[in-house]
Order: sequence, then structure tokens, then C-alpha cells
Amino acid sequence: MTIDVFWRIPTHGEPSSLRNKLHHRGDWSQQHGDHVVHKGLSGGHDDGFTNLDYIAEVARAAEISGFQGGLIPSFPMTDEPWAISSFLARETSTFRFMIAFQPGFLNPVVAARMTASLQRATGGRALYNVITGGGGPAQLWWGDVAPHDDRYARTTEFLDILRGVWKGGEFSYQGKFYQVENAALPVQLLGQDFPEIYFSGSSDAALASASKHADYYLSWLEPFDQLRDKFDRVKERTAALGRKIKCAVRVDIIARRTEEEAWREVRRGFENLDGAARERYKRFAEQAGDSVGASRQRGNAPKELNDYRDFIIHPNVWSGLSLLRGGQTQGIVGSYEQVAERLDDLVRLGADAFILASTPHLEEAYRVGEEVLPLVRGHDSTATLRAVG
Amino acid sequence: MSAQFFWLLPTAGDGRYADAQQRIRGERTTDDAYFLPGVTDPRDRNFNYFDYLHQVARAVELAHFDGIEIRNDPEGEESWIVAGYVSRASRNLTVLTEFDASRGSAVYAAKNAVSFQRFTGGRFAWKVTVQPNAAARRRQGDFVEEEGLYPRIDEFVTVARNVITTTGYDFNGRFFQVLQGGFQGPLSGQKVPPVYFSGSDEAALKLSARLADVHVFNALPLEDVRLLAGRLEQYAAQAGRQVDFGLRIDVLARESEEEAVFDARRYAEQSGQGTQLQHAGLWAGLTTSTTGADATLVGSYEQVIAQLAAYATAGVNHFSLGAVPSLEEAYRVGENVLPGLRHLINSANQRAA
Repeated sequence: MTIDVFWRIPTHGEPSSLRNKLHHRGDWSQQHGDHVVHKGLSGGHDDGFTNLDYIAEVARAAEISGFQGGLIPSFPMTDEPWAISSFLARETSTFRFMIAFQPGFLNPVVAARMTASLQRATGGRALYNVITGGGGPAQLWWGDVAPHDDRYARTTEFLDILRGVWKGGEFSYQGKFYQVENAALPVQLLGQDFPEIYFSGSSDAALASASKHADYYLSWLEPFDQLRDKFDRVKERTAALGRKIKCAVRVDIIARRTEEEAWREVRRGFENLDGAARERYKRFAEQAGDSVGASRQRGNAPKELNDYRDFIIHPNVWSGLSLLRGGQTQGIVGSYEQVAERLDDLVRLGADAFILASTPHLEEAYRVGEEVLPLVRGHDSTATLRAVG
Repeated sequence: MSAQFFWLLPTAGDGRYADAQQRIRGERTTDDAYFLPGVTDPRDRNFNYFDYLHQVARAVELAHFDGIEIRNDPEGEESWIVAGYVSRASRNLTVLTEFDASRGSAVYAAKNAVSFQRFTGGRFAWKVTVQPNAAARRRQGDFVEEEGLYPRIDEFVTVARNVITTTGYDFNGRFFQVLQGGFQGPLSGQKVPPVYFSGSDEAALKLSARLADVHVFNALPLEDVRLLAGRLEQYAAQAGRQVDFGLRIDVLARESEEEAVFDARRYAEQSGQGTQLQHAGLWAGLTTSTTGADATLVGSYEQVIAQLAAYATAGVNHFSLGAVPSLEEAYRVGENVLPGLRHLINSANQRAA
């Protein structure tokens, strides 16, 4: 069994490096904490291109450099992955679209038809990153009033219906959140591969839902021992239901020819932090939705910002990434060999797949695909290393 | 605004000339050889219906239509996926996407619509439909009673509009809730997709009067359109609004009336439809399951041009035309009907001005 490696699609624009605070690409720019729309690049005039055109570049780079596809995240301020996937279906060849979405926002019968159509449009290249967490006021922004644990129960029902309809024939269902009577997919839409499901969520309610439906249990990087425990737990719970589940790690990496260069990249970004970023860090450390995954990440962070080395929590693991850009806190930093070794460590503690990312995503897709992926052994401990270069 | 001409993209299959059977064009559905053994078939299973839909969309643009209407057919491909798939290949077409308000969260739909606007340079429009049949609704997981259908559309459009145009938006309705909603950053400032509704009953007209940008009449005879348009105009005036009128109609246009009638009769026979020549070339019942119009205008190019132009005098300025097979007919209508029709309508408008 080989491991699957995905890339991440930067839907929220991006800077040219981690030490640069200005987002130049697509139509995003970040200035003084406010998002400003840039029209094109030539004198501020609208050149007709949008962030989708940059995203298309990254998707092409990912497939050319050896990734399975990419996670397309969904945030309040970013373009939606269903839209991105359908627009780019014809512009990519092997790239698999990992669509992040919250099941509560879609009617499951419509979602089944959308998915089957997308499978037909892409030749079976769609898969899901089912997200349910978040919570607090953010969830009401989306128009969703269900409380945390109920949202997972709803996710379970949603996927029950999706699988039921997918099989063909007429399907009926009586749930707490959804009812369906004699639902069926059009006959020409039947027989497509059911999308693989990457499932995120760290609470007990999440694990219960994941055990039933997920193909991959997806976690951010956490301290390695914690992660091993978490993976063991989810595998046990799933085995108790007579199913098998694989595990996946979503992690940012900073890989350079030498370890020194990699840390220099981190140090420069850290030293470049301004007052606003420090203030954001303080807020981040205090902020709370009801996402358990997010608080697990926060729990590992130092309280003060003094030296970037204070955030090194494990060889080649730095927990200050969210200082430099939004998102998860822990990332792998090191030489190409070291990063590959840490990925192999993660494989040994239970990972079967990765979603990697690095800024800027276009150039780094090539770097990581060319320099790091050829060094990863995966499950094959007898594999001999390929020479880098 | 000058008249707009859209072409119907059939999402559940298309047909052929002189053959009324519905087919998933371009797609091999069995392993049986399609050609005789003596002839190489190079296709294998490399193509499916999406390749064909993509080509129709290109044809619509090359044949100088203004837009493409993507039908929401429960027996076909999902309309938003098709819309995204064909949009990237088009430069100027308005992409009018039909869907049912039961598809889910209004905020999520609006957010997807904003992405469509960003990716197309503001060419996305939507047509919100209702499924009048209760059993069909339940098949879609929709258990809303009939009395709730229009109120739900009302809330859907209200919420979608507001999260696109404002921030800090609160809404607490029967079907949708939002707290501090609204899109920011690059997602802000996008054009609200023009809203198209359809329907001939009073409730539909009143809903359109308050919320629609375009109200589409489904292949009704000219006199009926005049009547309903008059009523809608009145309701809209009461609401202090203006609503454009649309017509969704199929056309069977040939070089001569004789050819058109011959093809129409054959189609009716093959599909087992009892047709009725309703009025001035409008054949009720001559309809295809793929395009979904209630009636078809049958006649020579000149006759069809004259008939459509007559609708324009009733105030219709948005035409959604369809015909089978969609690819060939997009070119035929684009080349033989649209130029004369545009000319006729524009000169009538100039005389009126």
C-alpha cells in the first residue's frame, strides 16, 4: 500500500514568501490587516484575470510535479471549492479536487447529483474534505443554527443519504435532520466512484461520525505522540464498527537544500512580524469557537513572542506558523532529507496520506515534488533513497 | 436594453435529426461495439456527455447568442456543475443557471454565486424554480408543503441579495437564518446575479413583481403573454419596480414552412405526442423531454422571426430558445433566425423611441 500525497490550493491569495506580508497573487492583498482588492497588475486596471487563474496555475503545477491533487479549503472570505472544481475540471488532467465543505449547507440529494456530475465531468477526480467543526458566531454567519454535536449527527445523516442514493434504485430515509422519499440518481449518473472522504474534527462527536463514514481521518500536525494516540483511538473506534479507516496529516512544510536555510526562512518571517501580527497572536491565543482541533493547536503554543526557537517543539517541528500566515500552527522545517524523514516518522505512527502546503504554493509545489517527495519511503521500509538533485 | 437571446443547454440528454429518441450524446453506454467489426472505433470510453455539453456551449457563443440557459432537470446533470464546467470556455455568454430553492443554505448558494461572478467577470445569472409535484419534491429530500414554496424563494432571494450587497446582515426567517452575514474582502462588491422566475399563476406574478429581474413565460400564445405581462406590470408598478419579460420557447425553423411542418409531424409521431397547432405556428405539445419548453414555434425562418418579433411587441426582451439537436440547431438559429430577428426588433424599438 502506498501513501497518497496531496497539495493545498491557496484560495486566499498569497504572498511571494513567508516573510512578505503583502498578498500579490490573484486579486488578494493584505494591508494593515484589511483585505484590499487589486484589479489586475497593470496600473491597477482590471486585466480580466482573477484568483481562479492563479489557482489554475497551482493545480497544474501540483499535477505536473507528482501530487494526487489538492485540498481546496473553504473559508468565509474565499472562493468556494465546488465552483473552483467545476471551473477547472477541463483544465486539469489528473489533479484530484478535494472539496472542503460543510454538509449542513447542502441538500444531500442535490449534493449527490452534484457529486456524480462532477465525477463525470472530471473522470472521477472529486473527493471530499468533510468539515463540521468551527462553531460559535462563525457558524451563524453561514446561516447554520445547529449546535456542535448536532452538526456531527447531521453530517452522519447527510453521508448516509449520499451513500444510499449513490447505490442506485430508490432510497428513502427518515432522520432527525433529513427526510427523503424514493430518491434516485438519474441512471446515466450511476456507477461513478463514490468520492473518498477525508474527515476532519477532533471531538468525540466528530470521531463517532468519522468512524462510520470516513475513508481518511484527517488531522493537522500535532505533537507526534499526541497524534499517534489520536490515530490509534480513531482506528480502534472504527474497527469496533467493523470498518477500516486510514489517517492523513495536513501539514505545512518549509524545506530547503540545508536545514540552516530552512530555519533562516522561518527566522526572517519571525523577525519581520509587526505589532498587528503580535496583537493577532495574542487574540488567537485567547480566542474560542467550539472547535476542539483549534484549541488542541492553541494549547501547544508559547504565551510570549521572544525567539523563533521557543516555538520548536520537536526536531524539525515549528509551532509558530500561524504567526506568519493564517491557518494551522505547526509545520515541518528542515532540509529536504529531514522533512522527508519527519514525513516517514508520521507514516510510522499511522499516517497513510498527506496534504502538504508551502508558500508560495506554485513554486513550492515544484520544489517539494522534485526534492522532497522522491525521498519519502512511505510504508516501504526496504526502499532505497533516490539521489536528490 | 436590446433584446437578449439565450440558448437552452439540455442537461439530461439530446436528440438527433429525424429521431425523437433522447440520447446521452457522445457517450458509450454499453460495451457493445458501435461500429461494425470491420471498422475501427477509436473512441473507447474517452468521452462522455460533458464533452458534448462543452461543445454546445462553445457553439452558442460562436453563433452569437447572448447567453446560455442551463436547465435544472432532475433526470440530468446537476446544473451548477455544468455551469462551472462550461463557463471557463466562454468569454461573453451570460450563464443562466436554473436551480430549486430547496438546494440548501441561501448563504452558501450566494457564496458560490459570488465565486461564479468572480470567475466569469459577472456573467452569472440564476433562475429559481419550484417543483410543483409534492412526490417529486420528497424525492429531492424536500418536504416543504406547497404553500411554503414561494415564501421560501422569497426568503432565499432576500438573504442571497443581502449577503452579497451588505455586511452585518441579520435575518431570522421561516426557512433561513443569518447572523452578521455578508461577504468581505475579495468576495465583496460582486454583482447580484439577475434573478429569473417563471410561472403563470397569480402568486408567481406577484413574487416576480417584488423580487425578479426577469419573469419568464413558458411558451404561451402571444395573447396570453400580453395578458399576463400586463398584470405583472401592474403588480410591479404597485411595488415600485420594473420587471423584464422573458419567453422560454422551442423553435423548429427550416428554410421552408413545408420542411418545418414535415419535421414537426415526424417528431410528433416518433415521440407519440398528440400535438395541436395552437395558433400562428405555435405547436402545443410538440415538446422534447430534453429542453422542457411547453410548446414549439414551427415555421420557415421568416415565419419564426416574425412570430418571435411579435412577442417582442408584447414587451418580451429576453428569449430563451431551444431545439433538438442543440449543437446543430444553435448554429442554424444563430445563423438564420437571430440576425433577422435582432434587426426587426431593433428597428421596431427605434421607431418607437
